[in-house]
Amino acid sequence: MMRESGSARSGMLCGAVVLLLLVPSICAPQTDSEYARGIAAFRAGDYASAADLFAKAEMAAPGTTDALIYQAKSHIHLQNFSSSESALRRYIALHTDSHEALYLLGFVLHRENKASESLEIYTKAAALKTPTGEDFKIVGLDYVLLNDYANAIKWLAKAVELEPKNKDAWYYLGRAYYSKSLLRESRRAFLTVLDLDPRDAKAENSLGLILESEAKPDEAMEAYRKAMEWQAGGAHRSEQPYLNLGNLLLELDRTGEAIAPLEEAAQLAPDNGSCHLKLGTAYLRANRLLEAQRELEKAKQLEPENAAIHYQLARVYKQTRQMDKAKIEFQWTEELQSRAARTRPSDPPEP
Amino acid sequence: MTAKAGVGGSGWSTSAAWVDLDGDGFLDLVVLRYVEWDFDDIWCGEHKEGYRAYCHPDYFKPARPLVYHNNGDGTFTEVAEKLGLSKPAKDLGVAPADYDRDGHIDLFFANDSMVEHLYHNKGEGSFEEVGLVSEVAVDIDGRTYAGMGVDFAGYNNDGWPDIIVTDLANQRYALYQNNGDRTFSYASTPSGLAGMTLAHSGWGVRLFDCDNDGWKDLLVAQGHDLDTIEQTNPNLRYREPMLLARNTGKGFVDVSQSSGEIFNQSWVARGLAIGDLDNDGRLDAVVTTNDGPAYVLRNETPSANHWLLLRLVGHKSNRDAIGASVKLVTERGQQFATVSTASSYLSSGDKRVHFGIGKASSVESIEIRWPSGTVQTLKNIPGDQVLQIDEPVAPANAKPAVK
Repeated sequence: MMRESGSARSGMLCGAVVLLLLVPSICAPQTDSEYARGIAAFRAGDYASAADLFAKAEMAAPGTTDALIYQAKSHIHLQNFSSSESALRRYIALHTDSHEALYLLGFVLHRENKASESLEIYTKAAALKTPTGEDFKIVGLDYVLLNDYANAIKWLAKAVELEPKNKDAWYYLGRAYYSKSLLRESRRAFLTVLDLDPRDAKAENSLGLILESEAKPDEAMEAYRKAMEWQAGGAHRSEQPYLNLGNLLLELDRTGEAIAPLEEAAQLAPDNGSCHLKLGTAYLRANRLLEAQRELEKAKQLEPENAAIHYQLARVYKQTRQMDKAKIEFQWTEELQSRAARTRPSDPPEP
Repeated sequence: MTAKAGVGGSGWSTSAAWVDLDGDGFLDLVVLRYVEWDFDDIWCGEHKEGYRAYCHPDYFKPARPLVYHNNGDGTFTEVAEKLGLSKPAKDLGVAPADYDRDGHIDLFFANDSMVEHLYHNKGEGSFEEVGLVSEVAVDIDGRTYAGMGVDFAGYNNDGWPDIIVTDLANQRYALYQNNGDRTFSYASTPSGLAGMTLAHSGWGVRLFDCDNDGWKDLLVAQGHDLDTIEQTNPNLRYREPMLLARNTGKGFVDVSQSSGEIFNQSWVARGLAIGDLDNDGRLDAVVTTNDGPAYVLRNETPSANHWLLLRLVGHKSNRDAIGASVKLVTERGQQFATVSTASSYLSSGDKRVHFGIGKASSVESIEIRWPSGTVQTLKNIPGDQVLQIDEPVAPANAKPAVK
């Protein structure tokens, strides 16, 4: 959810926002209709059928039930946010004072990376009902998407003030502080996460990043290793601690040791260009040129606008005497670096 | 005088170098410029009292350097575009050297937060920028960094000029070792420099033989650019001591702590110039600081090592002999240097060429490749003297100067 500024120095954020939508919350007629069958399907976790049944229910009796809300929630479970947005907008057109629909729409727009629209909807919702800590968390994350970390911190801090045990909000607050290089505050937030959940791998991994920033490589490596250990055996292991450990070992010129964690990272996240870039770089340094070429070509496929990938690939081509290819990659590096130098940063300085 | 000479320029100029770019015997002037900026200011940093900070250079457009051709009559003509030296950049430091030993002086421009530029002199009155293909434009991971000061001199005595570029904390100073095939290898980590400089921000920088042992050591003026840095990064410092790193012949070792009380003082150091101020054969330094005095660092290194200081005088070449390459041979091996006043950061140094020659009391030979193309060789030169060498018109000669 939060944008990463560095390719390798990253935490674990993607897809971490989960809205709990298991129990229908709006009263509705419980008849043996499509609506009732939709509720049953929803409760059973059959969200595709539920979405279909709620759509039919709405068609049978337009505007008389909250079928559109359930349809939207079903689509959220299916990660189909555009359909969810559509259902919610139809519902809100008929029920302009529904704070529940507005808050839900704010969340959906956030998941669609429509941060400005999301904030607009949250503002309308807040006029009808006071936001919860969870709502403030999403608002904070909207500001992260807009690269406005000052406001992100403001609203995430509000979220944890209202819900001091909201682990996710503390984590994102820590990430926002880290993005602003406010390391003390960031550390405090991650330590709070670890107070709430002593084996939270994401927070421990992020502490590793802070320690790295403080030029404490040994302690940083220990943190990454702990994060790796804590998530071992889990269903969804993150590549981040492996990537961060491998990257740090590369920085320390310990290429031989860096390769194993970087291979693990690339295996865990085959679509993450940074993992392939770092692994390719490690192979290049180890003079394993064929493997380096394979990894860097994969990285280029995933992140064609990343100048560092083109540069490393150019070096591999040069070393393997593929001079025409090397020339093209150097030219790409230059083009992309020049483009970056010409482009002003998106975080606007205020007068 | 400036206006009459035609070198007034404009914009935010930074470092400058005198160098004969076209070999006509007159020194031309290279003036770097940083970014396009005016008083229509913007706010950067936290919106809290005491947190306002300098803006990142990404907020500004790059500017192109100015290159003034010496017309030989006291006037100059701006020719950056014509010579191919006009890439817009965020130039801060400049250093010349003939990195491919083709007899033509090349230029390295240290750029802030964008690719570094290496201009190869094609020998036909024009240059081409080859930083990326020579692998000196970015760090080993393909990342740009805040290039500020630069020196372009050999640190390993192999005869091929290497490059060192200073930058900001968390970036590591970049050392590029010349491979002798028009490419360089990033040598910050194997040389020991990366670990030594990770937490430091460097500006003026010079490779010079501090203890006359025959290996060029490293002196760096340090201090972060943000006076708010300690509020956001408690492990970094706005004011920093100077860094002195001794070249052991295998790499660099930080010897600052054992090199005098001056290295315990923390400054916001920026400019750094090197020269033998008292002609005792030990190179001294002058350091400028932001909002502080300039400091003269007199070299009092106790050493029985010998030395030689060469004052080259051009006759066919430019009078200051800038761009001349000097190869010195002693019983312990070879050393190389290029005559220049440029390098470092916003500073100009002693144009005389200094060599530490260790235990050798004399030099077996000195070979000078003058900018005119003339090659002059001198044999069996005693050490511990300031020696003036005149460019031979014909035949070659050398005239000892009074120490």
